[in-house]
Amino acid sequence: METLWLDASEWRVRALALKAQGWWLADLCGLDGAGLYGPGEADHRFEVVSQFINHKSKTRLSVHVAAPGEPPTLPSITDVWPTANFMEREAFDMFGIHFDGHPNLTRILMPDEWEGHPLRKDYGVGKVDIQFKDQPLLQIDSPGQAPAGSKAGQSVDRLGQSAMVTSPLSEAP
Amino acid sequence: MNDTSAVSQIESLGDGAFVESFDETEGTMILNMGPVHPSTHGVLRLLLELDGETVLRCEPVIGYLHTGMEKECEDQNWRGAVTIVTRMDYLAPFFNEQAYCLGVEALLDLEVPPRGRYIRTLLAELNRVSSHLVWFGTQGLDMGAMSAMFYGFRERELILDFYEMVTGLRMNHQYIHPGGVWQDLPDGWLEACTAIVDVMPRRIDEYETLLTRNPIFLERTKEVGLISAEDAWGLGATGPIARAVGIDWDLRRDMPYEAYSEVEFDVPLAAEGDVYARYEVRVAEMRESVKIVRQLVDQMPGGDYKNMDPKITPPPRAEMARSMEAVIHHFKLETQGYTVPPGAAYAAVESPRGELGVYVVSNGGASPYRCHVRDPSFVNLQSLSKMVEGGLVADLIASIASTDPIMGGVDR
Repeated sequence: METLWLDASEWRVRALALKAQGWWLADLCGLDGAGLYGPGEADHRFEVVSQFINHKSKTRLSVHVAAPGEPPTLPSITDVWPTANFMEREAFDMFGIHFDGHPNLTRILMPDEWEGHPLRKDYGVGKVDIQFKDQPLLQIDSPGQAPAGSKAGQSVDRLGQSAMVTSPLSEAP
Repeated sequence: MNDTSAVSQIESLGDGAFVESFDETEGTMILNMGPVHPSTHGVLRLLLELDGETVLRCEPVIGYLHTGMEKECEDQNWRGAVTIVTRMDYLAPFFNEQAYCLGVEALLDLEVPPRGRYIRTLLAELNRVSSHLVWFGTQGLDMGAMSAMFYGFRERELILDFYEMVTGLRMNHQYIHPGGVWQDLPDGWLEACTAIVDVMPRRIDEYETLLTRNPIFLERTKEVGLISAEDAWGLGATGPIARAVGIDWDLRRDMPYEAYSEVEFDVPLAAEGDVYARYEVRVAEMRESVKIVRQLVDQMPGGDYKNMDPKITPPPRAEMARSMEAVIHHFKLETQGYTVPPGAAYAAVESPRGELGVYVVSNGGASPYRCHVRDPSFVNLQSLSKMVEGGLVADLIASIASTDPIMGGVDR
């Protein structure tokens, strides 16, 4: 499968060109490169990966677009492929990637008042309290960290209770 | 859909009953349908702007079943993530497993022996029938034909019993693993599968006598929920929705994977793009699937059911009783799993609802770095608005059933 790497500035132009060549957008998702690229390998952290099909030649194409800046921003392609609407909303919801020109860039899967973007790599599994609307938030110093005052070596499970960190691999002789 | 979208309009109104707002000058009403509503097939919530009985605007609001499965995959090892993906589209679990495993196999450059490929294809095609039977039952039920549900679930039970026989479970099987399948087919599978294949064509005829020429059903489905080919194409609709507007595309035939290049089947098409056309396509697809299963049963090759590379798949139980080497491999696989070379792969299968794609990324570690699922229900839901806008509320029910959204897949 062929893969293209693009910059954010050329994304819209290339998207229109791809459409003219008969490529059809099958999928679009966000990707957090925090644990993927070594130091100096990439000057961006977030990217958007799109999958295309060409129904005539029956081939696939994968396109990576770097999303630079803080918050990471890309131009939206919903006017080129309307199907990108939900997909871009999902990438925004899960990674906090902004899409300029999107008609309705709101959270799609998480509750509207949710804070943070769950699929980012610094957002730990089970380490953040489940927060419901109008409930006081549990204070956590930084994402993925145990709250202040808990003993070192302990983490907080999703009920806010402390549990010993056990790692079968590190304890193996 | 901009800042004056139905969602932001109701935000200002606070919690209300089903009716969110009523505009007295325009005479339009914003109505909340779902998330808990018997005909929204799960926890789908639709915000409807109505003028009397006519739907002016329809906005799906999703996320009520979101459990962060893609994130959970990142905490599992490569084999364990199968348990997560199989729970996404819960009516078609084999397709989730298959797509994920094809992605991992592409990264590992791993070959599946012919018998493994055939077993996977066999189960996937039976799964297409069992998934379409649920659609058939609910489509009928929503149109007032309650017996469709009873008939559909009767045969689904036959197929689910077969799954239980082969995988040990009726759903969420975790049967397909990278490299092949968990176990070989059990004794007696041939008789059980042949019984299903023999009985299904007659039973599908029976379903058709219930609905196909039923005047009430025709009245409720013909020229209802229309979508044009351009809209379906632009909104990324795949599967029966796309084929019911004449988009002649089926991954099984056009980009064959597993054993599909070795069987013969037709891709049913319709041109009208209404609820009835989608009904026709799905019923015809069930017949084609039965045809495929029959060929697979006849051609089922012998040999290994999985790649026997001990670094990837655990050795068979019997071997572990004899070989120390096998015990060590098993222990390593169960405790640490295996690593996958860095890279990314996208693999797609034709699920009962359309293109189900899995995008897996590895950074060389023992668990997926990213596992994104392109679920057809999620993408197809976008075409629902186009189908229902301008129609009646009662027709909306028919359109939802014909979109066949599975909320487990939509929300993942």
